[in-house]
Amino acid sequence: MGEDDRIQQSNRTIWTVIADAPMWVAAAVLFFLMAMTFLDVLSRSILNNPIESATELTRLFMAIMVFSALPMVTWKSEHIVVDLMDPLFSRRMAWIRDILIDLICGAVILWPAKRVFDLAERARDYGDKTEYLGLPQFYIGWFIAAFAFVTAFVFLARGLTRIFAPHRLPGKGDTE
Amino acid sequence: MIASIIGLAAVLGLVFLRMPIAIAMGLVGFIGFMEIRGFRAAISMVGRLIIDTAQDYGLSVVPMFILMGLFVNKGGLSRELYQVSNAFLGHFRGGLAMATIVACAGFSAICGSSLATAATMSKVAMPQMRSFNYSDKLSTASIAAGGTLGILIPPSVILVIYGLLTETSIGKLFIAGIIPGFLGVLLYLAAVRWTVARDPEAGPAGPRANWRERLSALKSVWAVLLLFFLVIGGLYGVLDVWPINLTFSPTEAAGMGAAGAFLIALSRGKLSFGAVTEVLTEAAKTTAALFTVLIGAWVFSNFVNLAGLPEALINFVSAYDLSPMMVMVMILLIYIVLGCVFESLSMLLLTVPIFFPLVISLGFDPVWFGIIVVVVTEISLITPPVGLNVYVLKGVIGNVSTKTIFQGVTPFWVVDIIRLILLVAIPSLVLYLPNTMGPLGH
Repeated sequence: MGEDDRIQQSNRTIWTVIADAPMWVAAAVLFFLMAMTFLDVLSRSILNNPIESATELTRLFMAIMVFSALPMVTWKSEHIVVDLMDPLFSRRMAWIRDILIDLICGAVILWPAKRVFDLAERARDYGDKTEYLGLPQFYIGWFIAAFAFVTAFVFLARGLTRIFAPHRLPGKGDTE
Repeated sequence: MIASIIGLAAVLGLVFLRMPIAIAMGLVGFIGFMEIRGFRAAISMVGRLIIDTAQDYGLSVVPMFILMGLFVNKGGLSRELYQVSNAFLGHFRGGLAMATIVACAGFSAICGSSLATAATMSKVAMPQMRSFNYSDKLSTASIAAGGTLGILIPPSVILVIYGLLTETSIGKLFIAGIIPGFLGVLLYLAAVRWTVARDPEAGPAGPRANWRERLSALKSVWAVLLLFFLVIGGLYGVLDVWPINLTFSPTEAAGMGAAGAFLIALSRGKLSFGAVTEVLTEAAKTTAALFTVLIGAWVFSNFVNLAGLPEALINFVSAYDLSPMMVMVMILLIYIVLGCVFESLSMLLLTVPIFFPLVISLGFDPVWFGIIVVVVTEISLITPPVGLNVYVLKGVIGNVSTKTIFQGVTPFWVVDIIRLILLVAIPSLVLYLPNTMGPLGH
């Protein structure tokens, strides 16, 4: 029994680490973005020597940061919603409503995610590269598509969790 | 026209069912677009929008300014700002309430969110005002009203979203918010005076601080004040003089602000590793949420444009021979009514795609309209029955009824309406500064 518990425990830790990893990436990238902008301005105005690829890196970092953060935003219900009508729903109706909304959201994100993937594949065929650093465009396309898929699955998973294990949902934005 | 109205109704229905506003607008916009142009065109439009927006340079302003606010807050600025304003204003009747207004303005100069400003200041200012026997009416109202300054005084997240949605210069929008912001402070101070003139018991005068106390209070905030002038000055172009030659684009200004705030908080020993990651995570998550909302609003706006809603509105206006000012007054009335129901960002997202083309075709300035929309939104934050700032405040303070807060807020609401009329009647109050700014803001 003790052995099993420990295995379960360590499994849970591994999953927590995996689930949190993108958020750590997002935080690190954001810090780097801040530092880079600061150094770019200093070096441009004092040494008259701007970091040439700063604009391009900014774009790249923004995409990485936003999409790494999206699954966690979704899981924790931190999307911007209008909760004006909440008092009109009974507990049970709110429960059904939230399940349906989560499942619908998950389903409708799958199509654009697929489309972004197709566009990335096309960029790969054409051999599109970024202007300064010459990075292949399709990498970032893949990244965006992958995390859009993850976000869709998180929505679906949340809908299912609401049905089968509502106590495991995180606090904020819950109807309870 | 009909298609757009059905679309708008569908979006409203979905958001009332608590669907994230981004997905509601995106989904309805997508289906509408598909009805007109077919599936392939619609899905291509959405796919391209996602890829391009994710890599939008302008969007990087958002996390940087959020970071700046969070770092400064970690550094303990809110309390110090309150102490400084208190040292200068506390000896007047209603002085603590005035200090609250000024501290809110100072705090919102760093922080872009009204709700955050109201929530933060209520923790700092409320106990103080209570200990000096201020009436709950005046003290809560001054925090709720002061908090609304957060979305107007630069940097402002709402203005960034407006700028990105309408392709209006974010730098100009920020600079344009300065004079209306100061006007707001002055009028709120007048509202405090009016309240204590009618009811002297509401805000008794505190002890007068001497100049040594005032200067020592100033010492704790000078770094942050300097940071604000660096960021806004660099944006406006006044720092473009030998030997520093600093001019910032909005993104650079935001980056400097964030890095500066980080260094200030670090130098005060207020930043642990945990605090830094907490701040970074918070900023990243907020940016991601705002990003999805932008995509949704763009998809929806592509649909209403394709369905001809803006043209229909323009035709309607010219068919009835309405003067531009009459149309503007009607739009503002719609905003005030909507503001009683919607929170500011949702309202901006739902209305700007519809009204913006009409407003521009009538010859109004996009920067001016942005500021006006934000001022109206601010008013809605304290308008009964659903002014959001009032509820945030009630959430933080607890044992005050919303009725009391709304009663106290009434004079502030009235001066807000006066300010709105002034800004509509005299557009140069908004446009003078942005029209005289340096090259990078354009």
